Amino acid sequence: MSSLAEIKGAGLGLKRELIPQIQNLYQEPYNAESSNQDASIANIHFVEIAPENWINAGGKAEADLAWFIERYPIVCHGLCLSLGGPDPLNTDFLKQVKQFLSANKIPLYTEHLSYCSDYYQNQPGYLYDLLPIPFTEEAVKYVAQRIRQTQDILGQRIAIENASFYAAAPISTMDEITFLNAVLQEADCWLHLDINNIYVNSVNFAQQQDPIKLAQDFLHRIPAERIIYSHIAGHYQQSPNLLIDTHGKDVIDPVWDLLDTAYRLFGIFPTLLERDNNVPPLPILMREVNKIAAYQANHQNKQPVNFQQNLTRVIC
Amino acid sequence: MLDFQRYQLAFTAHIRNPELHPKPANVIENRMAVYRESVFNNIFESVSVCFPVCQNVLGKRKWHHLIRNFVANYSANSPLFREIPQQFLAFLESITDLPPYLIPLAHYEWVELAISSQQTRAQSIQQTLSTESNCLDNVITLTPASTLLAYDYPVHKISKRFKPTIIEKTYLLVFRNTSFEVKFIALNSVTFNLLLHIQSQPSTGRLALAALANESQYPDLELFMRFGAEILDDLCKQQAITLS
Repeated sequence: MSSLAEIKGAGLGLKRELIPQIQNLYQEPYNAESSNQDASIANIHFVEIAPENWINAGGKAEADLAWFIERYPIVCHGLCLSLGGPDPLNTDFLKQVKQFLSANKIPLYTEHLSYCSDYYQNQPGYLYDLLPIPFTEEAVKYVAQRIRQTQDILGQRIAIENASFYAAAPISTMDEITFLNAVLQEADCWLHLDINNIYVNSVNFAQQQDPIKLAQDFLHRIPAERIIYSHIAGHYQQSPNLLIDTHGKDVIDPVWDLLDTAYRLFGIFPTLLERDNNVPPLPILMREVNKIAAYQANHQNKQPVNFQQNLTRVIC
Repeated sequence: MLDFQRYQLAFTAHIRNPELHPKPANVIENRMAVYRESVFNNIFESVSVCFPVCQNVLGKRKWHHLIRNFVANYSANSPLFREIPQQFLAFLESITDLPPYLIPLAHYEWVELAISSQQTRAQSIQQTLSTESNCLDNVITLTPASTLLAYDYPVHKISKRFKPTIIEKTYLLVFRNTSFEVKFIALNSVTFNLLLHIQSQPSTGRLALAALANESQYPDLELFMRFGAEILDDLCKQQAITLS
C-alpha cells in the first residue's frame, strides 16, 4: 500500500465502533466463497481517517491502524488545519501530518474549505468545529495562499472539501460555487466533492428557490478535472429549511440522485460513506456502501457528459 | 487585519462568549445558534467523557459553568482531539475557586486516557515469570506505558459521597497491560519508593530492595527481601513490571 490509484470504488469512514466489526468480517482477498451476502464487506475498497484522531496515538489505536494499513488503502481527511483561520498556518502540525502520511503510506490528504481556530490570545485558539469562511476576494487569496503553503510543506497536492454551512456572512461578495472555483484555481489543488454538503447548503440557503435545482446548478459548475474524491452522507433536518450535517442518518434519495448526476456529468470517482453518529451495525451500513458501488457500476462504461462537451468544444 | 477576518473574529467571539459579545450584524439568530451550540456541545462532550468523577463531584450546573468558562477564556493550542482534556486540565490551573482535591482528581482521571494512548517502542515479547527467571535475580523495568503518581488526596476513592477534607498522601501505579487495558494499583510508600528506584535505574529486584532497605534502615534484610519479592512477583504477574 498504497498509491493514489488504489483509492477507488466505494469506501467507509473508519469509526472506532466499526473497527472490530470490519476485522470480524474481513476475508482475505480472492476468497469469493462468502456464503452470507449480508456479511460481505467486499465493497469497502478503502477507508478514511481523521489525522487529528490518529496522530501520536499509541496502544490499541496504533495496533488497529497497523491492521488497516496492511489491508486497506487509506485516505486522511483533516478537520483542524483551519485553512481559513486567522492564526498562522500550524506548520508544526503539518509536519506531523506529513510524517504520519509517509509512515503509514497514505496517498491522499484532504481538508475542509473552512476554519476552526481564531488566534485567541495569540494562540491558535482551536474551536474544533467547521466554521464558515466569508466568500470574499480577500478570502480567496488568503485561503489559496495557505493551501499552496500546505502543499509546499507536504510536498504533495491536497484536496479541499466544499463544507456545509448554516450562517451566510453578510459581507460575502460572491456565492459559494464562485468562491470554491476561485480557490481551486488560485491554489491549483484538487476538489474533494461532498455531495451531501451541496444538498444541505442548497436547502439552507434556498430562500424561495427550489433546492434541488440549486444543487444541480452547483454541480454543473464544478470543474470536473479537479475532482479526486467524494463523500456522501446523511443529515439531520432541524426544520424544513435548516439541515444540519450530522452524518447521523441514512443518505436521503435527493442526495443519491445528486451522486448519480455527478457520475453522469463527470464520470465515476472514489466515493466514501461518512457515518459519525447513530452508527448502525456494519451490515446495515454496507447497504449504503453497496449502493455507492452499484451507482458506480451503472456508470462504469459510460462516457461522461462533460467529457463529451469538452470534446465537442475541442473539435469545433 | 483583513475585513473578512474581522468578521471571523466577531463570529468566534460571540461563539465563545455570547453574553459578552453580540453576534455579527445581520447574521440570522437561529443560524448563529447552530454554531454556538455545536462548538460548545463538541467541547463539552470531549471534556466530559474524560472526567466523569469531576463532573459528578461538582454537579451538573457547576460543571457546565466550568466548561462555558473554558470555551470562553481558554485558547486551545492542539489540533488533536485527544488532547482536548489535557488542555482542560491546563485551564483548571487558572481557576481559583475549586475544591483543593479537584485538580488532583482531574489529573488522575486524565491519566487513564494518557496511558491508554501513550506511544511506546514496539512492544518486546514480555518475559513472564518462569522457573528460570525471578524478580530478585532478573533486571526489572516498569512496563513501557506506565506512570508513578503521588497525590495529596486519595483520588481513586473520591465520589459524590466522599469528598476528602484532609490531606492523605496517595501513591498509585498506572499502567497499560498487553491487552491494552489501563490498570491502577494503589501502593504504600515503600513500594512506591521501590518502583521509583526501578524507574530511575533498572536493576535486579535484589539490588533495588537492598538499596531501599539500606535507605530506610530496615532491621531485617531477609524479611524485607521476602516481602519485596512477593510484591514484585505480583506486579510482574499483572504486567506492571517486566523482566529482562
